[in-house]
Amino acid sequence: MLDTLLSAVAFGVVLASIIAIAAMGFTIQFGLTNVLNLTYGGVMTVGGYAAYLAVSHGASAWWGLPLGAAAGSITTLALGHGLLRRFAARGTKVFEMMMVTLGIGLVVDYTLQALTHNNISQFTVLQSAPIHLGAVIVTPTQVIVTAIGLGIFLGLEALLRLTRIGKALRAMAADPALARACGIRTRRVVIFTWLLSGALCGLAGVVYIINSQSIGYTSGELFLPLVIAAAILGGAGSPSGAVLASLLMGIVTQVVSAYGNASYSTAAGFGLLVVVLLTRPGAVLTKGANEELALS
Amino acid sequence: MSAWSFYISTLVVYFAVDVLSGVSINLQYGYAGVVNLAYIVFQSAGAYIAAVTTLGPDSGAGAFQSYVFGAHLPYPVSLVLAALAGAALAGLVGLFSLRRMRRDYQGAVLLIVSLVALQVVTADVPLFNGSNGLTGVPKPLGSLNLSLQGYQWAYAGWSMLIAAAVYVVVRRLSRSHWGNALRAMRDQEDAASVIGLNTTVMRMQVFVIGGAIAGLSGGLLVQYIGAWSPGAWGYAETFVIFTAIFVGGLGNYRGVVLGIFLVPTLFLELPQFLPQIGYPGLIDSLEWISIGLMWTLSLYFRPQGFLPERKNVALGVPLVTVEETPALVATAGRR
Repeated sequence: MLDTLLSAVAFGVVLASIIAIAAMGFTIQFGLTNVLNLTYGGVMTVGGYAAYLAVSHGASAWWGLPLGAAAGSITTLALGHGLLRRFAARGTKVFEMMMVTLGIGLVVDYTLQALTHNNISQFTVLQSAPIHLGAVIVTPTQVIVTAIGLGIFLGLEALLRLTRIGKALRAMAADPALARACGIRTRRVVIFTWLLSGALCGLAGVVYIINSQSIGYTSGELFLPLVIAAAILGGAGSPSGAVLASLLMGIVTQVVSAYGNASYSTAAGFGLLVVVLLTRPGAVLTKGANEELALS
Repeated sequence: MSAWSFYISTLVVYFAVDVLSGVSINLQYGYAGVVNLAYIVFQSAGAYIAAVTTLGPDSGAGAFQSYVFGAHLPYPVSLVLAALAGAALAGLVGLFSLRRMRRDYQGAVLLIVSLVALQVVTADVPLFNGSNGLTGVPKPLGSLNLSLQGYQWAYAGWSMLIAAAVYVVVRRLSRSHWGNALRAMRDQEDAASVIGLNTTVMRMQVFVIGGAIAGLSGGLLVQYIGAWSPGAWGYAETFVIFTAIFVGGLGNYRGVVLGIFLVPTLFLELPQFLPQIGYPGLIDSLEWISIGLMWTLSLYFRPQGFLPERKNVALGVPLVTVEETPALVATAGRR
């Protein structure tokens, strides 16, 4: 019994690492620009396909990671700075902007469907003998995924606390007008944020398909519920909140898989957000009360 | 029977079902500002319930499809149960998704409901036969002993009758005092609360009414096509109806019908006559891309649609003194 629980928790931590990479990117961008960006699932898939293409053309799986991040970065910058800014300039408000990202997300998803002929491809990289940690058996891939997640979290915290651009980002997330008045070049901060969140999104897509060993045009969309639920639960703009929420969700999801009905594992992760919405709505919903977009 | 007669009668049924969807979403989004991105889930609830209450008991181990709660209920009962199922599920989802929160949060939570429900029903085979879905749903109105063509048109007429009845009732509701209160909540929630409207309860009311209409439309559709599976209710199906409303005109029922005619009926059905290009399925992908583009472009160029919402008029004078809040003024004036 205890062994099953330990394994479930270990797998939960692995899954949480993937959720957390995506949720950190989502929440930083959401906290700064105030755009609830539903193109995120599609861009995750774009990152995944970039890695898939590289590996299927003979590149090492390690190259897939930076390539996926770069693809996510460029796509997100093009969508965010290229398209959404124009909508904001025409007077699109916070809520309508979410609807706009939904429409763009639809275009991204089905363009991928057209390009991939609606096929699901196998993606088996970094396969090697499993490691025994006491009763828990994990694969080296899972260890690597967890290490990447931890590394990104520490790197991001350092970036936000120790560097000039990180401090500027936090200042602007707190109050865009005041940040501009203090001489921070907010436009650069916004561009940096799109690039950073896109890189995390693309990277999460690559790590996700390495772990699930297959990719299709809906890969990112299927993973999106846990990512958004973790980002909302963790509080807009808080990477450490997102990481905590991801850990909770990853573990709950895997424990339900191990002991209950695996069909309901994602639903159980989302159920956490539902419970919080029902019992302590104030804890989640009063955050992000500011209703202005900050896109330039 | 001619192929044309068959095809046109099929389109009429689809049109009627989509009008029901459009009316439901317009009441929720156009009037009350509740963005129900999980609409298709409530339609599916109705479809699945209508299917399992007419398919008869699951024939046990070794059966080609498995499902819960099999029964042979007589016709209108299954349709009523479909509507009730939609309403009940809407009530359940509404409990946690209709709290007072940022509307973009609300939209995201409902979109997640749609994605999660699809994953659950696909993975949990004993529930509604997983990804293969249910087939062989019996046709109602069998006792009428009609020819194939007669049956087609009888069902089309019946669907249009239901759609027209729901259209008239919902339009009346929207123009009532309650409908004005909904618009007041949509435009100025704080002010609406101040004049004593309980906005959370009002949101729940439109959500459940809309859910019942969704369930009804699902029941109507499944008993016509005879099958229902997760392939039929991807999260993106909801977007077709929203796009139709954006194109036609948000908050205007005639605009909704126009949009439903233009987008799901004409735009998504006509490509069947195109010669195949590229690999099989390319036209499908291109249709969805166009839906996304239409959605995005209509939000960019004409957010109010072809036939915009009409301003409230009192004594021949449009109530526009308080900019943006005509509905609020109309409501307050009648208290």
